[in-house]
Amino acid sequence: MQNLRRNPLRMGLTAVAFALPMAIFVAAISFVVTLGEVAAHFQRQLRLGVHHRTTLTNPLPEGVRRKIEELDPERSRLTAVCGMRWFGGRVPDTQNTITSLGADVDTFPTVYSDVEMTPEEIEAWNRERQGCVVGGNPATLYGWEVGDRLVLESTVPPYLKLEFRVLKVLDNKERANFFYFRRDYLVESSKDAGLNDPRCNVFWIKCKSQAALRSLQQEIDALFANSPDETRSEDENAFVANFLQAAGDIPGLMRAMAVVVVFVIALVAGNTMMMSFRERTPELAVFKAIGFQSGRVFLIVLAESVMLAMFGALIGIVPAATVLYLFPPRGLAVGPISGLEVSWIAVGGSFVISLLVGIVSGLWPAYQAMRLQTTRALRRTG
Amino acid sequence: MSGADIELRKVHKVYYKDRLEIPVLEGLDLDIAAGEFVVLMGPSGSGKSTLLHLIGALDSPTAGSVRVGDARLETMSERQRTAWRSRHVGFIFQMYHLVPVLTAAQNVELPLLLFKMSASDRRERVKTALDIVGLAERADHRPNQLSGGQEQRVAIARAIVTDPDAILADEPTGDLDAKTSTEILELLNLLNAEFGKTILMVTHDPRAASYGRRTLHLDKGVLSREETRAVRPPAAAASG
Repeated sequence: MQNLRRNPLRMGLTAVAFALPMAIFVAAISFVVTLGEVAAHFQRQLRLGVHHRTTLTNPLPEGVRRKIEELDPERSRLTAVCGMRWFGGRVPDTQNTITSLGADVDTFPTVYSDVEMTPEEIEAWNRERQGCVVGGNPATLYGWEVGDRLVLESTVPPYLKLEFRVLKVLDNKERANFFYFRRDYLVESSKDAGLNDPRCNVFWIKCKSQAALRSLQQEIDALFANSPDETRSEDENAFVANFLQAAGDIPGLMRAMAVVVVFVIALVAGNTMMMSFRERTPELAVFKAIGFQSGRVFLIVLAESVMLAMFGALIGIVPAATVLYLFPPRGLAVGPISGLEVSWIAVGGSFVISLLVGIVSGLWPAYQAMRLQTTRALRRTG
Repeated sequence: MSGADIELRKVHKVYYKDRLEIPVLEGLDLDIAAGEFVVLMGPSGSGKSTLLHLIGALDSPTAGSVRVGDARLETMSERQRTAWRSRHVGFIFQMYHLVPVLTAAQNVELPLLLFKMSASDRRERVKTALDIVGLAERADHRPNQLSGGQEQRVAIARAIVTDPDAILADEPTGDLDAKTSTEILELLNLLNAEFGKTILMVTHDPRAASYGRRTLHLDKGVLSREETRAVRPPAAAASG
């Protein structure tokens, strides 16, 4: 371990070269893990999204909901259907658009059961036309609390300016960027503004099982095939993936980056260890002359490599994880990812990977040290 | 503390390089009594260092036998030779070869890490060895804080800390000035005279050779000449 202090500048630079990529690695893997957690959440919710086959921006007639419900009159496969219309609201005099949607008043609490509205909140939702349910991120950003009144202006025709009252602030991360209000309020307000358009961009169906979801998916698309309103039905993960892929294959990019990171630090560490070995050849020869067995010399060199790797990992991972834990980035809008929290799986995995990199990068120099010809090495150095 | 006698019989050593045979020692016979101080001299390539390596179990002969005390080194595997070496031989090199990131005490302690010994026992032996070489007050200094002579003293302490039977010194004064060389040679003489260590020293320096009881001249792998002189009494205790 003390040999790490032999060349402090070189060891320091190597440790930093280790630390920075590992910090990025932790963030990248935390992102991937978060995506996985979100995907698992959506899968559990068993929601099927139905939208126009061509594009989400082509709304479907309101009557699609009734036709979907008629596919399962006994409600053995679906629980409820909720139509949604994009509002695209933003706080006046700001630029950021909030993911705001008008939802069917009667079925929103059922289809979005993960919002976990209490009976009192449902009762308020049913009673108050201007009631809204707000995600944690915009609530934090604009300081909204339950009971507050607020105004959003739409970024789509007829560019309404609507007033709302906050009924609930959501604390689940999957909904952190969203803003839901009653679609009937939107339709009536649009009509008052001269636009009579009760259509929906998407219908969300709460299904009772994966099998039910798959069968409804096929039946719905078959029902509307070859009509002006051809549909495309997909589960929530597939629906969200469309948005992610619009920004590029971010999960794939993160994974590729993680692999590159590990490869690069292995090269850096391996190079440093070979340099260290070459410098220490006479010293290692003396170790063997004193009586250290070849296997022990192997372990000494390997241990040094592992220590260097773990030290670099420590100074990279611990600060990164601490910063992410104390100051998790909020206000992200990468698909379903509204924030980034440190993943302890990523932290633990990063240390394990660092250990493996230390072992792999130290193997060759350790092997060279083990096989060192003592007399030849001593002869070379006088 | 005492030394071991050394016996070589018909020792040959051949090196191979690119399929060429390079004979270094040719049928060498040699006897060194326990507690003797013997010097090896000869031109470059005469086989001096090779002979030292064979006696120190760093290498094995191509033919012949090498006995140090009760050990027949030519019959040992590399693993056995390494284990034997850690207990019975102390090496001193021209370039000291101290570990630069360790203190003097830690350098001296290195050979003791190979034995089952408590930390306090190790500390005691290290202190004794440093006292013998006169560097007790420099125990916490690193090599870059020591002079060349002091570094060599630390190397000597490292060589004797395990109480070996034989001390093998390869040009121990080669990198030192005349005054410092004398101090080192006096220290080796002390180890031989007062502690009975068998010492085998390779040198090019006739002045250094004068400390040996016998000087053996090697030429082309054979003993060409031998000189004997009176035992030189050690000077006053080594000073730092």
